[in-house]
Amino acid sequence: MTGHPNDYSKPELMACCGAREIEDYNIVIVGTGFPTMSANIARYTHAPNAKLMQESGVYDAQPLRPALSVGDPCLNPGAAMIGGLVDVMGMFLQGGWVDVGFLAGSQVDKYGNINTTAIGNYENPKSRLPGSGGANPIGSLAKKVLIISLHDTRHLAERVDFITTPGYIDGPGTREKLGLPPNTGPKVIITNKGVLRFSETTKTAYLDTYHPGSSVDEIVKLTPWKLDVSDDVHETEPPRAEELKALREILDPFRMINIYEKRGYV
Amino acid sequence: MDKITNAREAIAHHLKDGDLVFIGGYICRPPFSLIHEIIRQRKRDLTIVRSNAADDFDMLIGAGCVKRFIATFISLGLYGLARCFRRSIEKGIPHKIELEEYTNLSLPLMLMAGACGMPFVPVKDMIGTDLTKIKSFLGENKYKTIDSPFDGKPVTLVPALNPDLAIIHVQQADPEGNAQIWGIGGDCKWGANAAKKVIVSCERIVSREIVGKDPSRTIVPGFKVAAVVEEPFGAHPGYTPGFYDVDFSFGYLYQQASSTEEKFNEFLKEWVFDIGDRTEYINHYIHRFGYAQFKKLQAKFDYSYPVSYSY
Repeated sequence: MTGHPNDYSKPELMACCGAREIEDYNIVIVGTGFPTMSANIARYTHAPNAKLMQESGVYDAQPLRPALSVGDPCLNPGAAMIGGLVDVMGMFLQGGWVDVGFLAGSQVDKYGNINTTAIGNYENPKSRLPGSGGANPIGSLAKKVLIISLHDTRHLAERVDFITTPGYIDGPGTREKLGLPPNTGPKVIITNKGVLRFSETTKTAYLDTYHPGSSVDEIVKLTPWKLDVSDDVHETEPPRAEELKALREILDPFRMINIYEKRGYV
Repeated sequence: MDKITNAREAIAHHLKDGDLVFIGGYICRPPFSLIHEIIRQRKRDLTIVRSNAADDFDMLIGAGCVKRFIATFISLGLYGLARCFRRSIEKGIPHKIELEEYTNLSLPLMLMAGACGMPFVPVKDMIGTDLTKIKSFLGENKYKTIDSPFDGKPVTLVPALNPDLAIIHVQQADPEGNAQIWGIGGDCKWGANAAKKVIVSCERIVSREIVGKDPSRTIVPGFKVAAVVEEPFGAHPGYTPGFYDVDFSFGYLYQQASSTEEKFNEFLKEWVFDIGDRTEYINHYIHRFGYAQFKKLQAKFDYSYPVSYSY
């Protein structure tokens, strides 16, 4: 099956963008929502040998309904291995085996640093957020980090209020200087407007593709840092028929992905 | 030795005000029955610890039982930010708790170190982030950075944790406390073994002989266990693999109830203070939502292939 159907939603396109970053045989650590959907789209299309794990302790789960948390009951029956946090976060992630980590943030900056701790001042926050959870170690140690964010000046920032999870921190060379493992860090920010990648030289996010319906001008205006634009910037490839089929018929028959439209992913 | 008791006695005898208490669970097997007992007995000034906290920790914070929280994360999952936690941090209601923040890698390893009698453990996360800049009640002992004595490279060390008490919920345990789980573990095994003593609540008490039919499932040996409590449905509204599912509609009820201080206190009255024990809780649940809803949560059976340890 080929072709690009027209009746897709923005969250579906974003999930497909995430899927395309995953290679066959990758070991992927996922949360709920977009990460699970992206990783599974990849498994049902171009990366049948990719394997998923959840930080709670599960490897290669076979859920029969969409998991609503990384501790969801549906992750238990059928998994290849179940342990706990020390197994997945310790042995597999810190052990250096995880290829891809998926993160979302309440605030993401130009170096891919992520804030999930507090908006405003830490001691007296305007809004207290959940905290790191697994995000900091995933951002520190996964070889390739994919970030999902809403594209506006509230969710993107020149500098996050609090660095919960390291991107390139202060720019080129910082991760290496501090002793984070070589060849790790964020590779892409997938937003509801386009796909940003990180410059090899400046470690700053630039615009690579804009989603159908968005434009370079619109995205530059919505980005709070001086957004560089790729020389070959082009429109994001819409979801392919086989990607949508995997998503709608196998992974998310109840179309729970639509809740993201209500959260602003349009 | 038979350690079987009830939740009221177990909490009254083994948890003191001011204790550092590990609470197991990861949506999977939260020891909710024991948590309600802590709230009912109005325990105070606790330091609570677990990786990935949820509605159970939020409830303890809202009920005023908590002074300090060694945390990595807290939310209501599908239902968003933890309301009582936010009210405490943002508005000091009922009071502002103190937070020491780690991650889902470093905290489980701190509990592992505590369980293994190690004084500290090296971790590869947190560096370069603001998590290293905020220090609360552990002060300079939150972490240390040294040059590794082996290769001279910088390494982050975090301290071992040894809670005064661990409370966990498991599928089955014998009267001595040998506790068995299957399914998602979170940091339960390490937190329980790091603690000076453990209260085990379980879906069913089984004989020592049954435990011996599949001893690889045991996560805590009886000699560490102070009390064993049989509490069917004891993890509700969380789940226990093989017994019952997550109660998502109750999760929504809790989100709504915890959205204001007044509604939260009404919730506590209805589900904790006006309830004597877990049996009354189940009866109240069935009375409120009907037997069909209770029945709907019960797990289907799909047994694993029997294992043999014979030689």
